[in-house]
Amino acid sequence: MLKVSHVSKHFGRKSKPAALDDLSFTVEKGEIFGLLGHNGAGKSTALGIMLGMVYPDSGEVTIGGVSVQKQREKAMRKTGAIFESPNFYDYLSGWRNLQVLTAFSGGVSKKDISEMVEWVGLEKRIHDTVRTYSHGMRQRLALAQALLPRPEMLLLDEPTDGLDPDGIVEFRKQLFALRDDFGVTILLNSHLLAEVEITCDRVVILRGGKKVYQGSCRGLVQEEDSYRFEVDQWQVLEQIVKEHHGESIQSENLVKWPREQDIATLVSELVAKGVQLRQVVKLEASLEDLYMKVRSTEGDEKS
Amino acid sequence: MIEFFRLLKWELFRMYARPRTYIGFAVFLLVEGLVLFLLNRPKVQSGMQNWIEQVAGGFDQFFSGLTLAFILVGGTVFLLGAPFLSLVSGDIVAKESEDGNLRLLLARPVSRLKLLMVKYASCQIYALSLFLFISTSALLVGVIERGWGGGYVVMTPEMPRVSIFEWDEGLIRFYLMPFFLLISYLPLTSFAFMLSCMRIKPAAATIITLAVVMADFVLANFPLFPLFKEYRDWFVTPRMQMWVYSQYQDIPWPQVIENWAWLFGIGLTGFVLGWMSFERRDIKS
Repeated sequence: MLKVSHVSKHFGRKSKPAALDDLSFTVEKGEIFGLLGHNGAGKSTALGIMLGMVYPDSGEVTIGGVSVQKQREKAMRKTGAIFESPNFYDYLSGWRNLQVLTAFSGGVSKKDISEMVEWVGLEKRIHDTVRTYSHGMRQRLALAQALLPRPEMLLLDEPTDGLDPDGIVEFRKQLFALRDDFGVTILLNSHLLAEVEITCDRVVILRGGKKVYQGSCRGLVQEEDSYRFEVDQWQVLEQIVKEHHGESIQSENLVKWPREQDIATLVSELVAKGVQLRQVVKLEASLEDLYMKVRSTEGDEKS
Repeated sequence: MIEFFRLLKWELFRMYARPRTYIGFAVFLLVEGLVLFLLNRPKVQSGMQNWIEQVAGGFDQFFSGLTLAFILVGGTVFLLGAPFLSLVSGDIVAKESEDGNLRLLLARPVSRLKLLMVKYASCQIYALSLFLFISTSALLVGVIERGWGGGYVVMTPEMPRVSIFEWDEGLIRFYLMPFFLLISYLPLTSFAFMLSCMRIKPAAATIITLAVVMADFVLANFPLFPLFKEYRDWFVTPRMQMWVYSQYQDIPWPQVIENWAWLFGIGLTGFVLGWMSFERRDIKS
C-alpha cells in the first residue's frame, strides 16, 4: 500500500547530516505500521515526504502504486493525515472546519460528515467553535477530517501526544476498528514506545535519519529468549548454560538461552544434577528493550 | 473551474467568518469619522467653502454628500489603504503557514498552484469589498451630513483640473473609484502576497511591502530627487495613482489602459514569483 524507496533528504548544507538517509520500507495493505524514533530522528520529515509537502533529494514514495512525487494529487485522494497538535481554524465550528477542509478533496455530503462526526463521538460539540475544544476533542476532529472522504491510507504524526489515558485507549480502539472494519492501512509516527508496541504490527526504527531496525514488534520478543531462574546452585546452572552456548548473569538471576533449543533441556539437566529449582519465569522482551539495544548497537558502531 | 469556485466560496467564508476581518472595517470607519470631524472644524469649512465657490460656484450645491464622501474615501485610503492591504495580503499564506493550517490543506488532493490561486483571488475580492465598504460608508455619512443630491466636485494633486459632475453622473464616477482602486493596489497586494508565499513571518511580509512602497513613493515624488523625475515611469507608485483617472472630467482611456497593463503585469509577476517560491518550498511543522 505504501512504499518508501531509497528516500534521502538534506536540509541546508549538504555537509550537515541528512535528515533522512536512504530510507526504504513497505507497508502492506491493512497493516498498522509504526515509524519510531527519538525527536529529530527524521519521522516528521519522512511523513512530510509521504504527503508530498517535503521534497526528497532522491528516492520516491508510492501510495497504492501512485507516486507522491509525480502525481501528488492522485496519491492524496487515497490518503488522510493527522498532524501532531492539529491546527484548525479555531474561530470556526468543528462542522465548518470539516466543510472547509473536505472542500479541498472535492466536497463531502452533509450525511457523510454527520456519520463521521458520530463515529468519532463529537456530535454534541460539533457546532461549537474549535477554540472551546479540549485537546482530545481536537484530536477526534482531526481523525474525522482525515477520514473524510474515506481514505485507504492513514498517516498519523504523534496522534496520541497530549491525550489522557482514556483518550489514548479510545483512539487506539478507533485505529483497530479502522483497520479491522474498514481495511484502512495505517502508518503511525511516534516516539511513544509502549503505544507503538500495543498498536503496531511492524515497526521501522529511525535514528539520525537512518533506518536501524525494521521488523515485527511481536517478533522481537522471540529474538531474545530470556529467563529468570531461582536455583540453589547457580554455578551448576552456569556450567550447563555455557555448554549450550547461552549466557547467565547471576546478579540478575538471568539466563539467555539460545532460541533454537528448548528451555526444557536446561530444566531437566538441572533436575538431573540435583539442583533445586524454585522458579522459572520467561521474560518478555519489550519494544523498549529492542529500542535501547538498537541504540546501544548504534553507539558501539560509532565508537 | 467549478471546483475553483467551490474552493473560493469556502475560502471567502473562512475569511469573512474571522472576527479580525471586521476589526479592519471598524478601523476604517473610525478614520472616516476622524476625517469628518476635521472637515467640520470652522477654519476647514471656510477654506473648503472658498475653494468650492472659486472652482465650481455654489457651496451648498457642490459641497454635496458625494463631494464629502470623496474626501472621506481619499483621506482614509491614503492613510490606511497601503498598511491594511499589505497586512491582509502578507498574512494570507504566511499566517496559515505559521499557524499550521496550511499543512491540513496541503494534505488534501489539491495542487499548490490551485491553493494559491484561491487565496490570491480571495485576497483581491477582500480588497474590493473593503474599497466598496469604505465608499458606501463614506457616502452614507456624506448623505446624512449634506443630504441626497447636488453636484460633485473633485480635485486631487494628480489631476490637471477640477472635475465637476451632476449628481447622477457623479454617483457613477464615485462608484467607479473602488474598482480603479483595486487595480491600482494590485502591485502592493501582489508584492505582499509574493512575500507571504516565501518562508517568512507574516509581519515581515507586511513591513517589507510597506518599506518598498514607501521607498518607491519617496524616490518618485520627493523634491530632493529632481533628477529622478526623468525616470518617474520606472516607479510603481505613480502608476498606482491611476485610480484618480476615474474622477477626471473625461476619463483618459489610453492612459488608463497603459497603466492597467503595467499594474496587471506587475501583479501577475508578483503572483508568479510567489507561486514559484511556494512550489519549491518544503512545508514542515
